[in-house]
Amino acid sequence: MIVGKVGKLWQRMRDTVRNEPRELEFQTEMEEHLRLLAERYRRQGMTPEAALLAARRQFGNPTLLKEDLRAMQIIPAIEALRGDLTYAARMLRKNPGFAAAAVITLALGIGANTAIFSVCNAVLFKPLPYAEPSRIVTLSERQRDGTLGDVAPANFVDWRDANRSFSGMAAVRASSFAPSFILGGQSEASRLAGDTVTSSFFSVLGVQFMLGRNFLPDEDRPGQNRVAILSYAAWSERFGADRDIAGKTITLDDKSYTVVGVLPAGFQFGATAADFQARSQVDIWVPMALDPQRLQRNAHMLHVIARLKPGVKLARAQAELDILAANLAQQYPEQNKDKGIVAVPLADQVTGSVRMALETLLGAVGLVLLIACANVANLLLNRAAARQKEMTVRIALGASRGRLAQQLLTESLLLASLGGIAGFILALAAIAALTPQLPADLSRAAGMAIDTRMLIFTAVISLVTGILFGLGPLFGPWRESAGESLKQNNRTSTGNQTRLRSGLAVAQIAIAITLLIGAGLMVKSFWALVHVAPGFRSDSILTARLSLPRSRYADNGQIAAFERVLRENLHGRPGIQSAGFATYVPLSGLDNGSSFLIEGRPPLPTGTYNMSQYRPVSPGYLETIGIPLLQGRSFTVADTGESPWVVIINDSMARAYWPSENPIGQRLQFGPGDKWRTVIGVVGDVLHEGLDGEAKAELYVPVEQSWNIESDPTIVVRTTLESGASAAELRGVVSAIDPSIPVDRVETMQQLVSGSVAQPRFRTIVLTAFSLLALVMASIGIYGVMNYLVIQRTREFGIRLSLGATPSDVLRLVLRRAALLIGAGTCLGLAGSALLVRFIANLLFGTAPLDPLTFAAVPILLAAVALAASYIPARRATRIDPIVALRFE
Amino acid sequence: MFAMTKRKGDINKKSEALQGTLDLMILKTLQAMGPLHGFGIARRLEQLSEEALRLNEGAVYTSLLRLQQEGWIAAEWGASENNRKAKFYSITNRGLKQLERETEDWERISGVIDRLLRLEGQR
Repeated sequence: MIVGKVGKLWQRMRDTVRNEPRELEFQTEMEEHLRLLAERYRRQGMTPEAALLAARRQFGNPTLLKEDLRAMQIIPAIEALRGDLTYAARMLRKNPGFAAAAVITLALGIGANTAIFSVCNAVLFKPLPYAEPSRIVTLSERQRDGTLGDVAPANFVDWRDANRSFSGMAAVRASSFAPSFILGGQSEASRLAGDTVTSSFFSVLGVQFMLGRNFLPDEDRPGQNRVAILSYAAWSERFGADRDIAGKTITLDDKSYTVVGVLPAGFQFGATAADFQARSQVDIWVPMALDPQRLQRNAHMLHVIARLKPGVKLARAQAELDILAANLAQQYPEQNKDKGIVAVPLADQVTGSVRMALETLLGAVGLVLLIACANVANLLLNRAAARQKEMTVRIALGASRGRLAQQLLTESLLLASLGGIAGFILALAAIAALTPQLPADLSRAAGMAIDTRMLIFTAVISLVTGILFGLGPLFGPWRESAGESLKQNNRTSTGNQTRLRSGLAVAQIAIAITLLIGAGLMVKSFWALVHVAPGFRSDSILTARLSLPRSRYADNGQIAAFERVLRENLHGRPGIQSAGFATYVPLSGLDNGSSFLIEGRPPLPTGTYNMSQYRPVSPGYLETIGIPLLQGRSFTVADTGESPWVVIINDSMARAYWPSENPIGQRLQFGPGDKWRTVIGVVGDVLHEGLDGEAKAELYVPVEQSWNIESDPTIVVRTTLESGASAAELRGVVSAIDPSIPVDRVETMQQLVSGSVAQPRFRTIVLTAFSLLALVMASIGIYGVMNYLVIQRTREFGIRLSLGATPSDVLRLVLRRAALLIGAGTCLGLAGSALLVRFIANLLFGTAPLDPLTFAAVPILLAAVALAASYIPARRATRIDPIVALRFE
Repeated sequence: MFAMTKRKGDINKKSEALQGTLDLMILKTLQAMGPLHGFGIARRLEQLSEEALRLNEGAVYTSLLRLQQEGWIAAEWGASENNRKAKFYSITNRGLKQLERETEDWERISGVIDRLLRLEGQR
């Protein structure tokens, strides 16, 4: 029944919309009917005229019939809307300047909003590409200082075996510890980026394999773990998209592995936004195969993920983890005392660092749209003033105010729709332009496409915008009684309207101030960031990662020998000044740390350690990358596995551990059984993690004295060649020594620096663009208001001028009024900014949220621009000819 | 028999009984004769009522539009016998069901009225 009703209504709506062709059809049908009737009468012997008359009599009144049919087909309200729309479109066509100004303003506002929304949509709102992603959490260890850190394998195994809240728990090595493999059996040596995971990793994420299967629990044991899962990209590019690959054997690092499965295209994993980027190139996964007999509780190197059981809330799981943590603290006080376990939804973890920046941009772009609304409302008010007579006449003729309001709103919504369409196109262009600029942690946005959510968003904001600015003219002059309005001179101001306009201008200025202050703070903070001294040289440095096959480079002696030969072969080549090796290069995202003991110091309390970042390097590294030697000596080729064991520490470490002694000659070791190593030098601090990071204690050891096997060193080359030429040179020299060594991740230090500040740069550029847009729109706004004021007071100014006022008196009169509005807006804006800046405090670097320079410079800039905009109409006021002014009405 | 309403707003209220009758007759005609154009329907109705009822034939078109809106009949443009453009109406499946329902209703009501009238005659 209801379906029938809806269907009928739908039919009627369709008929209403296209009733003109329908009407023609009726016409044809009726004429034919009449003709046939008349013909019959004629055949019965009537004259043509009489036959036609008789036919008409029999058929009835065709005009009335048509009216009836028409009435049956339309819905009166929609018919009215159609009329309003036609009328509105006609009004816009008659005022192309007004229409263009309004549509362009709206398109800029709506387009900017749609563009930022689609970035947020892709990065924040779109669910992660896993089965029921909301139930996946990451588990971290809460360290004694309250920060969250990676998990020790022994702790992971205890959590996994003891918990009842999760249907599965899995671990992946932190990306600094991720392995890489040299793929054998192919013409050219190539490296596969790997990840090691526990067997349930993919089932916890809920991944459907494209080919083959997941790891079996049995394959996650030492000695049985020669199996591998391929990424879609590796499968299609390195293995020729072989559909029968599952079960085949491949050679990695000269050992054979069996491929068991291939992941679907588009699989991505990251424990954080940055981690997403770090792991985006992973080609191959192998089982972690933790040895149950030798589980570490001290080395923290796992990211742990887990899937909540159906019906288990995060809070309940957290409560269980708290108990688990307390038990482990009791059992292993040395490692786990005062530590905790924290579960965070994976989605929050992934968006955490960018959420705030994006939300700031979304807020800012919303403010831009508000300014745009105010501008369009102003334009509409101007037109309303011009149409005052038309409206009052219509009221006098009996139009209801509701009906007029409906028509005005139709006009506003038509404008908003046009603005929305133009804005959407603008947004698509903006997205195309933005995509290559996206920083790494927004890389999930790179795949953004037009989706329904984006379309709905644009439609909704267009509608809301239309209603918002459409409200302006509803307070127009025809609110007063028709008689009064007609009597009134249409050039004389109505107090209401001027107040409304002034209010809009003040609000626009206040919002523009807020945006400009936000942008000013970002610019200042970015300036501070890129002018930070990183502690190393960033120009003329090329970095590249080498991968030495473990079969032929089994120990650090062999690795150091290769490095020595490579350095010698590079030495003296044109354009190459020096070279060195380090496993962990600044800003590369790779890092490692170690605890250590100092000779002669009393033992530390249980569970506390001396910690330092750990940097195995070759001779020449510190000099090449420009880390200054402050004291003592640097490493030389004489520092080998046979010579005395030595370390170089950085300034922070010297001040932290030997605040009042000379560190040179002191000895330390990395654990109870380790050799004692003598401090031979002190070097400058390095901002290893990022320009906005802090310098940490660091120590450098010669490669041959490292406790790890440094198979994946990064070479740094100081060169005057441009990066392409130097990279080619480097590849040539490496391949002449050993063609089986792949060279990848070739980047200049400048690129690493630039990449590390990409996110702040992105948000600074976007916010600055928005605030400049706001500044222009607000200036147009105040121009409009002052222009209106001058037109309204033309007669007054004319009289003043004829009574002896000088042009500069009039100029002052107008500008004083403008200054009043600008002043009020500025005060409001500054107060609002002072309240809002604390929300962006965390995004600032080396800049106070209430930075006095920004808070002083922005109002001056805005006042200057706004006064300049007001000057144009003010200047016009001084040129008023008194005679013309008096005849103005 | 053919009725013609005068004012727009009244069309759905006034003389619903008569319209209902006309609707039923048109449905029955289309069911019995297959697709017809408006003129053809009017001729058929004229024939059936043995020319006793000849009034405003235009009302057929209000009926046809209403039946279309209900989805009981469908319309299609075609060529008439003498090759002129004409709109042909045919009954839909939903229309056939409606006809069935209305026929039952009609028979029931006419039976009741029949009995009622006979009762009066006996007094």
